[in-house]
Amino acid sequence: MKNLLEFLQKYYHWFLFLVLEALSLILLFQYNSFQNSVWFSSANVVAGKVYEWSSAVSAFFSLNKNNEDLMLRNYYLERQVTQLRRLYAESTQKTDSSEVKELDYLSQYKLVPAKVISNELHRANNLMTIDKGKADGIEEGMGVACGKGIVGVTYLTSDHYSVVIPVLNSNSSRISCAIRGHQYFGVLRWYGKDASHAFVEDIPRHARFKRGEWVETNGYSSIFPAGVLVGQIVEVYNSRDGLSYKLKVRLSTDFGNLRDVVVITDKSIAERVRLKQAAKDSLRLNVSE
Amino acid sequence: MSADALKRVVLFIVFILAQGIVLGRIHLLGVATPLFYVYFVALFPRNYPKWGVLLWSFCLGILVDTFSNTPGLASTSLTLLAFIQPWFFELFVPRDSVDDLKPSLSSIGLLKYSYYITTLVLFYCLVFYSLEMFNFFNGLRWAMCVVGSTVITLALIFTFEIARSRQ
Repeated sequence: MKNLLEFLQKYYHWFLFLVLEALSLILLFQYNSFQNSVWFSSANVVAGKVYEWSSAVSAFFSLNKNNEDLMLRNYYLERQVTQLRRLYAESTQKTDSSEVKELDYLSQYKLVPAKVISNELHRANNLMTIDKGKADGIEEGMGVACGKGIVGVTYLTSDHYSVVIPVLNSNSSRISCAIRGHQYFGVLRWYGKDASHAFVEDIPRHARFKRGEWVETNGYSSIFPAGVLVGQIVEVYNSRDGLSYKLKVRLSTDFGNLRDVVVITDKSIAERVRLKQAAKDSLRLNVSE
Repeated sequence: MSADALKRVVLFIVFILAQGIVLGRIHLLGVATPLFYVYFVALFPRNYPKWGVLLWSFCLGILVDTFSNTPGLASTSLTLLAFIQPWFFELFVPRDSVDDLKPSLSSIGLLKYSYYITTLVLFYCLVFYSLEMFNFFNGLRWAMCVVGSTVITLALIFTFEIARSRQ
């Protein structure tokens, strides 16, 4: 302290000079607009750069908090989206586009809409009940489909209810289906356990197809028109006797979620099929003659 | 107050008035302005307290600025000049001279005095005009201002000095 005071005493005129000079410079820069503007702009650049650095540093330190806030916000927003989506779906009750297409396709045939009132998935032979019966024009042996694809065949009908054998039944009628775009056809079977997959058997070994291709009905039965979706090919296996392929198909119909179905009451399918078959037979006979 | 201080106060006032009313309005050729008040700083004798030199010059600068409406310009330059004046004068003093030697033609001779005063005035004009223009884009104008003002100020100062030394 004593040294400092001595130093100050020895060089006091330096300090006085500095003080007076600083004072004059302050006056100069404050009251003369040109010097003021030059000073101001360059001082501002310096101050600006310093503020930029310091704010970058403090922003870095607050990143953690920002992260947490964003996560929370994200969570709330996602929940909101889910809620809104559900509300929207409930309020509009529209089916999605692929279902609409399927129903449109089917609508060229006579259809009776019905609701599934009883369903099961986990037995070896599952049965389904729908709320339409003889009074609505349903008969035994009619095809049942939904917006997503094939469902099954009616088995028993009463006046107001019908029992349907769905695809998920090892006794289901052998529905003939083909790979879309090709003529190769096979028979749809289900062996239990997995409610979302079924098997298409007797695909000839010379067939050329890929996994992921769609399988649909080919119209060879009198129950379903051609083109009703069955599912997508997932795996290809050899049949037990090695003479044909067995395709594992992921069913496009969600049997667990099934509520609205249509029964194809169009008797004309059966007539058409029979007529076609009769024509083929007669041609064969004529040719061979 | 001592006689010296009183004399200085009178000189002070005279310089300010002269600069503010008369000399500050002369701009020969648009560049040269007589800055006569520099003479006030050059008059401080040897060993005059340094803080005194600084304070006098600062106040002179402030008041001159008030008249010319350029606050801080002259005071900055004069304070700087006042800082170096005591040290600078010491360079010209002969070895065996009096302790409170006053700078004038008669005390240190024509040659030395010319060097002394020219350097001081030139230095002052450099600082003054650099601050005033605050840029060097117009180098020629700046140079002309400096030289012109130096010349005319020196002319005035020498006139006075010669008149004083005649007395």
